Amino acid sequence: MSGSNARSFIPLLGVLLGVFLCASGFMGSGVPFRRKVTLELNPGLKLSNAAPPEFDLLHVRALGENDTLHFFLCSKGAPAVLLVHTNSTESSVQVDWPTFVILNSTGGLRVVPESSVQYSRALVFTRLLEYDDVNNTAEPQDFLPPYDLKDFAWSDLNSTVDYTFHAALLCGKDHSSTFRNGSFCLDFSAFESGGREEAWPSLLHSANSSQLHVWLEGVTPRANQSRFSLELQMVSEVGFQDRVDVQRFIDDEYTPSIFQVSQWVSSPVNSSSVRGFMQWKPIAYRKRVPMLEDATPCRNSQPVPLAQPPPSGLISAYFTHNPVTSGINISFSLAEDPFYGSTKFLSWTVLIGMGTPPSDSFSPLVIGIMAVGLGTPLALIVVGGVYVCIRKRRDQQLGYQPIN
Amino acid sequence: MAEREENERLFSENHHDTGTSGRMSPLRDPNHLLHRIIVLFFMCFLGFGSYFCYDNPAALQKQIIQDMQLNTSKFMQLYAWYSWPNVFLCFLGGFLLDRVFGIRLGTVIFALFVCVGQVIFALGALVDHFWLMEFGRFVFGIGGESLAVAQNTYAVNWFKGKELNLVFGLQLSMARVGSTVNMNIMGSVYDHMKTVLGQTGYFTLGSALMIGATTCVLSLFCALVLGFLDKRAERILNKEQGKTGEVIKLKDVKDFPLQLWLIFIICVGYYVAIFPFIGLGQVFFIEKFNFSPTEARLINSIVYIISAPASPVLGLMVDKTGKNIIWVMCAVITTLLAHMMLAFTFWNPWFAMVILGLSYSLLACALWPMVAFVVPEHQLGTAYGFMQSIQNLGLALISMAAGSILDSKGYLILEVFFCACICLALIAVVGLYFLDFLRGKLYIESVQCIWSLALTRKNCICSLYLLRLTRWRAEPFSCNPGQSTKDLIFGVRVKPIHSVGSTQPAVSRLTGQPDLSITHWEVRRMRDGSFEAHVRLWPAQPLSVQTGRAAP
Repeated sequence: MSGSNARSFIPLLGVLLGVFLCASGFMGSGVPFRRKVTLELNPGLKLSNAAPPEFDLLHVRALGENDTLHFFLCSKGAPAVLLVHTNSTESSVQVDWPTFVILNSTGGLRVVPESSVQYSRALVFTRLLEYDDVNNTAEPQDFLPPYDLKDFAWSDLNSTVDYTFHAALLCGKDHSSTFRNGSFCLDFSAFESGGREEAWPSLLHSANSSQLHVWLEGVTPRANQSRFSLELQMVSEVGFQDRVDVQRFIDDEYTPSIFQVSQWVSSPVNSSSVRGFMQWKPIAYRKRVPMLEDATPCRNSQPVPLAQPPPSGLISAYFTHNPVTSGINISFSLAEDPFYGSTKFLSWTVLIGMGTPPSDSFSPLVIGIMAVGLGTPLALIVVGGVYVCIRKRRDQQLGYQPIN
Repeated sequence: MAEREENERLFSENHHDTGTSGRMSPLRDPNHLLHRIIVLFFMCFLGFGSYFCYDNPAALQKQIIQDMQLNTSKFMQLYAWYSWPNVFLCFLGGFLLDRVFGIRLGTVIFALFVCVGQVIFALGALVDHFWLMEFGRFVFGIGGESLAVAQNTYAVNWFKGKELNLVFGLQLSMARVGSTVNMNIMGSVYDHMKTVLGQTGYFTLGSALMIGATTCVLSLFCALVLGFLDKRAERILNKEQGKTGEVIKLKDVKDFPLQLWLIFIICVGYYVAIFPFIGLGQVFFIEKFNFSPTEARLINSIVYIISAPASPVLGLMVDKTGKNIIWVMCAVITTLLAHMMLAFTFWNPWFAMVILGLSYSLLACALWPMVAFVVPEHQLGTAYGFMQSIQNLGLALISMAAGSILDSKGYLILEVFFCACICLALIAVVGLYFLDFLRGKLYIESVQCIWSLALTRKNCICSLYLLRLTRWRAEPFSCNPGQSTKDLIFGVRVKPIHSVGSTQPAVSRLTGQPDLSITHWEVRRMRDGSFEAHVRLWPAQPLSVQTGRAAP
């Protein structure tokens, strides 16, 4: 091997090393953070007082080192999840049940002390929209009469709440015949620490977030080429502004074929710090067990400010001072994708949390394979190059003497 | 699809008899250029159908998966089933053509296999039976690779000693054109069928594939015409039916040097990261880079588009410089970089794909000829057969693996997997480089020193660094340790030559003794594996023809 060949390895080494360092630089550093999560159904309700209400209120208390997160899931009116962040470990929930059960009542739910409340935000599922996609373009238009989720009959949370795994399932039906075998379900989970669920989309969650897995199953489509959209509304205190960001990320390992994540974040006006978020991957699955071939993309509209708060009992009970409401539509499927009727199933998952949304990092598997894959030839080049140089030098030292 | 560039090297170039047939018109005279151009036309279209249809699944990936309700791993079975028969047929194809069918009948039979295979494939879609589609790909595979051998045999038979390299180049470009055309029009064919039939679904898919099958019918027609023209030429010119000349002896495998095995690893590691990737490419570009289907099809075919014009240019470059292994290393590293760009960045993939296309062409030019450097000529047929067989085995297995990785882990892990395959190839290249350094020298013993200028000693025993894949060169002779080192020390520099057996005048310089230079030398690899060197020296020439023998 000549000296020039040996030198030509140096830039090569540099390139490979650089790439390797870049790859390892993507490694995230996860700080393990835990909360103590406890679930309580209908806090403070004494059955002797009155007849049991027609709805349930689930309270999830996630106790951190110096703060507390309260999650509420309620089926009074449109189903809603409320997140309240307090900077005290002592904050508690007060429900004025006689007021709370009354339709359109206000002020039935408080988190005390009120001075400890840092941030509160609610997500409400208001309407399910169906449209006949005659041209197969998946452009939501010509809507059929919407299903109003506030009119649904919701199942009893008492039978589905899981105190060990901090989960609860809420299923509702419309009264019309199309929902005879159908249901719209919200599967709520709260988390003690970071991680991700096994089933796709395997969103990365932290202890600061909870997850809603939403599905629509068995509904008889009202048109041959039915597609669905979901109308969501976000309610927060005055002084916050909303936007939907799309972040791209190159690791689709946990959600194959999806390279981006959408987040509907709220930040104080005149500030870019994110106080709370809703995060989802733009993907829905057309079967109960998510598979790549049953995946269907979903899109969202930009948030639109709304004048009226959504028709949810939780909202009117908690937000008493003219909250700010904005709404988006999530529409499922793209042009040419199969219609809802082909599987009669759609599932979608969203995270709700406070602070900045969790962001993915490369998995150890990727880093490991690339490290071994690039490291081995590099090591071989280094070892071989050194050996060759030594030999070369030895050969030169021997030298050749001219012929007399 | 397995490369056929190498076949060119399997044939010795002998001029065939130039019969006297001046009475015929140029178009009818088998010896006339015009007539041969017509033959060339049919020869090129002989392979068009199989190359067109090979990548049908890639061109219609989304449609096939949706209409047949598959997952990706089932879809990739279509590629695996193409490769399985060729794991064995690479050894048999030449034999069947030479001994059993003859080139003319053999070509027709293989073209028939391709045609029937594609029809079964389309039929499977028409009746919504995926197993039938797989079976169709299997039958198609039986014909596909062997048809390429037949095509090359025809080329040698008609053009040897004349425009053979050009013809091989043209055939290869035509193959790439077939793949490109397929990649870019099958989508429109499908869309058109959808408008005609007014629906999507397996029937539309089947009809589109059936239309694709017409290219195979065209190829079959070319096979028949070629058979007729060849028969006619045989009658007029009294020439023999062409032979592939491939001799496959499986027992040679045990004699394969380690270098050859490393070349096999490079071949498998590299190609499995190219063809299955192209098979899955279209949807990858749509989903990761938000390309439109048309744009995705175009970028997915860029490797083939680049390969058509770049192969001859890069081939020339490799031939001129001769450092095959360095070029292979470059190709492998740039491919790795391209794959890493696709895996770890959102950069415009056109950049990565163009690099991929260039490095793919470079590798094809540099890798396949290298086999001839490390095995003797009589084992070349076996070595190439084995290489293609292993390549097809790799393609079959990796196609299936790629599909299921995508289904369960997504594109990043799939790309990382392809990177790992290329890293394996890179390890083999680096290993080969150093192994070549260590083993590349050959000691030529008993060189008789007959010249007598300043040198008084005779019968010096010299050692000569000889064979390197990086280049051919001779390094300083050093003398028999038993003798004074002052006796004879000089060095030679020899221009690269490309395969054992060829000769080339050398520009030589003697470092120790500027008065002496080697004006001509020649190395032959003998059938027993040893080397024989003939060196002609100046100023003692022409008397001093040095011969020596060396064990490898």
